[in-house]
Amino acid sequence: MRLPVLSFVGSCAVAIAACAAAQAPAVFDASYAPPRLPSGKPDLQGLWSNALVTPLERPEDLADKPFLTEEEAREYQAKRVAAVNRDRRPDDPEADLLLAYNDFWWDSGTSGVRTLRTSLIVDPPNGRIPELTEAAKQRIAATPRPSADGPETQGLSTRCIYYATAGPPMLPGSYNNNYQLVQTDDHVLIVNEMVHETRLIPLDGRPFPPDEIRQWRGSSRGHWDGDTLVVETRNRRADTPFRGSSENMHLTERFTRVADDVLLYEFTVNDPEAFTQPWTVQMTSQRVEGELMYEYACHEGNKSMAGILGGARAAERRAAAPP
Amino acid sequence: MKRGALALAALLSLTACAPAAPPAAAAPDIARTAEGRPDLNGLWQALVPANWDVRPHEARPPPLAMLGALQAEPPNPGIIEGGEIPYLPAALEQQKHNYANRFELDPERKCFMPGVPRATYMPQPFQIVQSGEHVMIAYQFANAVREIHMKDPGPAPTSFWMGWSVGRWDGDTLVVQVTDQKPETWLDRAGNFHSGELRVEERYTVMSPNHLLYEATLEDPKVYSRPWKISFPLYRRLETNAELLEFKCVPFAEEILYGHLRKGYVGERAEESR
Repeated sequence: MRLPVLSFVGSCAVAIAACAAAQAPAVFDASYAPPRLPSGKPDLQGLWSNALVTPLERPEDLADKPFLTEEEAREYQAKRVAAVNRDRRPDDPEADLLLAYNDFWWDSGTSGVRTLRTSLIVDPPNGRIPELTEAAKQRIAATPRPSADGPETQGLSTRCIYYATAGPPMLPGSYNNNYQLVQTDDHVLIVNEMVHETRLIPLDGRPFPPDEIRQWRGSSRGHWDGDTLVVETRNRRADTPFRGSSENMHLTERFTRVADDVLLYEFTVNDPEAFTQPWTVQMTSQRVEGELMYEYACHEGNKSMAGILGGARAAERRAAAPP
Repeated sequence: MKRGALALAALLSLTACAPAAPPAAAAPDIARTAEGRPDLNGLWQALVPANWDVRPHEARPPPLAMLGALQAEPPNPGIIEGGEIPYLPAALEQQKHNYANRFELDPERKCFMPGVPRATYMPQPFQIVQSGEHVMIAYQFANAVREIHMKDPGPAPTSFWMGWSVGRWDGDTLVVQVTDQKPETWLDRAGNFHSGELRVEERYTVMSPNHLLYEATLEDPKVYSRPWKISFPLYRRLETNAELLEFKCVPFAEEILYGHLRKGYVGERAEESR
């Protein structure tokens, strides 16, 4: 397994993003022929999972190591799984209280990306998000921190409006990593388990909506590049930045079925207003067989908002009139 | 074309003079999928203003007098076969209570997923995505979505806001059994309701390239004395730029849900925040 990986590195080291976009990494069987729909397009349909323990950015202790060996990957995965396990009980009761959910509620995955990379980011080659522009740094510094003053100053995920892991772009999260993909001749539907986010992507070549139509998740348009589904997303609102992105982020996602049980998922963030260079992520979605995805009614069952805001008001009353 | 217009005129007159369903005779030359099933793909929307009240009703004023004619209820001859919902006596009392407090209690106001069949006649479009044995319906309102399981997935593990949908083909009609819905959803803004035991049988039939016939039979022994049926056409959205857009309504509902917990709140719900 190690040799093909190395040859992939060798051939792509110069222009890794272009290479990732042009062909599947050599860890996958180049002769793999995906099942096809009556239209002749590859069949990407079904339930997929993004539960991966590989971090988005390469950890500093692995700075010079873009790939793990299979043995190292097994060790790393075991270490990560142990590190995030919520069933460990700290001796300190205060710290114990903060572990509100035990491990049953989490689903971070137990394996890493199939390419054995040490980060999901493949470009820049250091596996790290590029430096933000000065304008982005100033914008972020001027953005108010979430507070419990009222509902609209809470975080978007607490409010059940937007979760970064459902994207786009999608990323591994600590739970609700599944997504369902259905294709027709002129549309692709992606339903994320996280907050039942649905994205209907027209493939009919229509233009993007007018610039003034801004959406929390942007607006997506798709097309086929050979056997790869390419989805472009623009028109995002200014208040759903992705890792510091601006409202003019142009996102390009690529979905390629590289094995019966693997959907290669890649995306490139192009946003000169926010990042000093484009950056690209490459991850592997794992086929989910024999299971169903269930409705995650986040807003309908949201008890946290009343708890957080009510708790803050109670704290204010206590501060004003100590018992 | 002319024949189509005549058929549509006949259909409209049928709909106008009787709440009963227009005949579901499918045209033989309907669009079909590669598997030979009727192709239901597309962006659809009901025109009938049943979301205000599924029962026959005249025009009504808006919830707040200051709105004037804005948000006043358009009249509707109704979508119910026989014109009335066969409520059990206790359920009828509950319905009256709901109606009297409808603008406060309607879950639509809180941006909750609307359940079935209400999702079908919300005044917003929805898209049927059908590919082989995959059938999904994505609704614009509250980003609701449901999968129609074309292979029986077995009993629902719990209840869902959009229910548990199991589909099959009856000739050229897609038949969907919807069970295990939340009792919290309503059928309309008029307080018509159901319990968690509601069973809905939906039928989707192609009427023309741009119309589907939607029929739904509702059965709920805790609330209704017998099954009852609604039907109305669904219209394809034909604007070339029509597409499902985001209607994330949570931010619109936060004031009524959490406003009394805001810092410095002064008002009639202050006691609730203690």
